Amino acid sequence: MFDAHSRRQFLGAFAAVLAGMLLPRNRAWAVGRGLDSVGPHPVPRPGITGEKVLTKEQLESKPKLIALFDDVRAIPEVVDGIRCNCGCTNPPEYYSLLSCYEGKGMAMSCVICQGQGRLAVRLHKEGKSLDEIRAAVDAKFG
Amino acid sequence: MTARTHALVLMLALAVPARATAQIRASEIGSMSQIIDGTKLTMQYSRPRARGRDTLFGSKFVHWGDVWTPGANFATTLDFSKDVKLNGHPVAKGMYSVWMVPRKDSAWTLVLDPKVKRYHEEPPDSSAAQFRIAVHPEAVPFTEVLTWSVPAIRANGGTLAMQWERVRIPIDVEVQPSLVMTMSAADAAPYLGAYDYVEVDSTGKPGKRKVLTVTHEDGTLKGEWEPYDPYFKKFAMIRIAPDWFAPGVYDKNGQVYEVYRPEVTFEFSRAKERAVSLQMRDDEDNVYAKGTRKP
Repeated sequence: MFDAHSRRQFLGAFAAVLAGMLLPRNRAWAVGRGLDSVGPHPVPRPGITGEKVLTKEQLESKPKLIALFDDVRAIPEVVDGIRCNCGCTNPPEYYSLLSCYEGKGMAMSCVICQGQGRLAVRLHKEGKSLDEIRAAVDAKFG
Repeated sequence: MTARTHALVLMLALAVPARATAQIRASEIGSMSQIIDGTKLTMQYSRPRARGRDTLFGSKFVHWGDVWTPGANFATTLDFSKDVKLNGHPVAKGMYSVWMVPRKDSAWTLVLDPKVKRYHEEPPDSSAAQFRIAVHPEAVPFTEVLTWSVPAIRANGGTLAMQWERVRIPIDVEVQPSLVMTMSAADAAPYLGAYDYVEVDSTGKPGKRKVLTVTHEDGTLKGEWEPYDPYFKKFAMIRIAPDWFAPGVYDKNGQVYEVYRPEVTFEFSRAKERAVSLQMRDDEDNVYAKGTRKP
């Protein structure tokens, strides 16, 4: 959706937004979103793979989601660096958004997990870095 | 009682599960919490009842001029998850014990003390660490049980109120806004104009056609559809990221009362600094409408 010119602007502006988030908050209430209520994004685990992401066979009841799960499986190093913002009670073993696509597969029924996953996949395909994807997730779901 | 009976009673006592939490109290323990734009405030307090006592304030139960916890037993506590302002005065996030100084014919004083665990008979002395402001009692119909509540909520705050006997103490709470509603004219300029806008289904097939007109009014970027949408009316377009906006719906008083995030995101694309097209995406990141700037 971005041409080469606007893409540079977008990336630059997102970097500025990210930098703004990292700055100490002003007592007079800084512009932008605070992350203190949802915690930081997780650090992707070294060597993480998508092998535990649910497969086509495990998604028989949700055929429309197969493509999304396949896309997530392809970029575990990105999705594992994103916090899940769905607000569901994630079990302790849930580490990142990637966890929502594994095991019991919370992302099979949670539209927020699905939306975060689709956004991450889309922006990754557009060439965005993990930090830029995190900033977009925070903007939309934070 | 024989030794045998003693042993039997002891055995029965050990066999019956204890019900330590079951206790009838004159001031039953209560709690109240409210989240406003991501700021959570929580009160924990024992709730005294009037129990036939018609006058409580200015009586032997609550003396004028005494430091009193608006609750009973251990002091009422108030916890803020983020910094707030009370009646316009900043208060740092954290938990406080809550005290008041009731007065007969003038403003009362609200005291928040950083020492949380205090019995009601041990009110704190005045200290620099405390938060102290004047609060103003209002006359209300008789209230039997001391009640803390949040009877009014707006986008950036609400009213925290203590009510008991015939007195109500309202306290204005202002929270840190998570979004900035306003935008400078220079920042707004690239988006202004009208966009031909068409809804699309999951296959990309076009549906209803509309026009989205973007204006800058009263320091806020605003959108309005044609045909007119009676629910969204003229709505605030609130920037959540560069070229990304979420719609905020106004109430009849012109205050934003709900922001559709992440349900609706306007994503503009630019050419030569100017927005030339947009997509509307839902919370699943699906495109459900596309627009291009009208010539």
